[in-house]
Amino acid sequence: MQNSLPDRRVVRQYLLGELNEQKELESDLSEGVLNNDALSEMVESIEDEIIEEYLDGALDPADKDAAEKYFLQPPERKEKLRFARLLRHHFETKHSDFAEQRPDVLPVTHPVGSRGAHGAGSVAYWSSHFTAYWQVAALILLSVVSLTYISGVRKRQARLETELVRERERSESLATAPLLQPSAITLTLVSDRSRTTGTELPHIEINSSTQRIIVEIALPGVAPGPYDVRLESKGEKGPMWSAKLLPLVSLFGDSRLMFDVPAQSFESGVSSFVVSSSRPQGEWRKHYDFQARVTK
Amino acid sequence: MAARERALTPEAFGKFLRWLSQDDELAIQEYQSIRKKLVRYFIHKGCSDPDELFDATVDIVVGKIEACAECPSPLNYCYGVAKNVWRQNVRERKPIPLDKDIVSPEHSDPEIHEHELKCLEHCMEQLAPSDRDLIIRYHQFQGHDKIETRRLLADGFGGVNALRIRMCRIRKDLRICVVDCIRRSAN
Repeated sequence: MQNSLPDRRVVRQYLLGELNEQKELESDLSEGVLNNDALSEMVESIEDEIIEEYLDGALDPADKDAAEKYFLQPPERKEKLRFARLLRHHFETKHSDFAEQRPDVLPVTHPVGSRGAHGAGSVAYWSSHFTAYWQVAALILLSVVSLTYISGVRKRQARLETELVRERERSESLATAPLLQPSAITLTLVSDRSRTTGTELPHIEINSSTQRIIVEIALPGVAPGPYDVRLESKGEKGPMWSAKLLPLVSLFGDSRLMFDVPAQSFESGVSSFVVSSSRPQGEWRKHYDFQARVTK
Repeated sequence: MAARERALTPEAFGKFLRWLSQDDELAIQEYQSIRKKLVRYFIHKGCSDPDELFDATVDIVVGKIEACAECPSPLNYCYGVAKNVWRQNVRERKPIPLDKDIVSPEHSDPEIHEHELKCLEHCMEQLAPSDRDLIIRYHQFQGHDKIETRRLLADGFGGVNALRIRMCRIRKDLRICVVDCIRRSAN
């Protein structure tokens, strides 16, 4: 028990009280949990899994019954269940906000009725009286919706551009105030090497108080990833840091990579984050250059 | 479990601590460690009153300390007693029906629910960026997209079990933070 962890299914049975008749196995597990921290942590993760399946309604009737009459009896587990539900509610609300804020599903191809009952109802009303004209009415309606949609997209784009300018100003002011530099600093990379010719490279100042760099890379288009990310310096042969990452997709559909790198991975001079991904149309690779100044 | 006949008196508790160690600080550390493990044991055994069962266990151990003066492992001894306490509890146990409020996402008091959500937002901000990023991705989608995203995340973590353990730690940190946030704002 100390050296190898049991099968997750056995632990699951144990937690649902289904091993209580198998005294030896049950006792081995109980003693194992008492003395083995790794097993104890594994048990906690399986508790979370059972709670998640309970909330999903994915437990079979026998397991659901065991969950309610045995597993969920302790107050601590009830609290865990309530918290899991709260967490889920939080993310579901975010998700529905996302859906509400995304009218960018093309209205022209949208099935009638799913976009708005009012529009669909109007078409039905007119079609009952003027069957010959309903398509014209639908076209007008679609044109209005399309114009509203395009106008909304433009407004949103303008707002995003304003926010981007503000964010850049904020990053610049942080970079020019070394005395105020906190233990974590931000490096935002928007343009890859092919788009930065002749322009000043993004710049970071790393001093003795800097512990990590929070890097944000804007990706062109949306691809599910994963992306290989490597930190390379011109003088070094191998990467100074590397990771495999998934992108974050914002409410507006643009994607970015966000991660943090220990400050000691950086060197003074020009370095690059090399981002690559294997896609059906071949390997995709971009170099995001930046200038670092390390003062210890 | 039926109401206990004996309660843990200060004298009995002192005797128990002395049995654990002659050094006060070590005795308290050992007591806390035993308490944490045995309460967890009773939770794993589906008991609705794990703290009370732990107290019952200590009561019994205190009554037997003379017989176990040179016990090599107080934890193992207490665990042996705890098993018997649990068996007795199983014989007397009647499952308590789950309160419908428990599976409801919202607290019955909308003000408290709103407050819980605010605390959760605050605690999400307190997470390390990588942890926040992970929990958002983990909960981001539904159905097939959810399965696919979690599969990719698991690949990045060296397996699904490693991902589950990591998620379990993040949830635990969040839960502790939210409970603390609610408690602090209530004071």
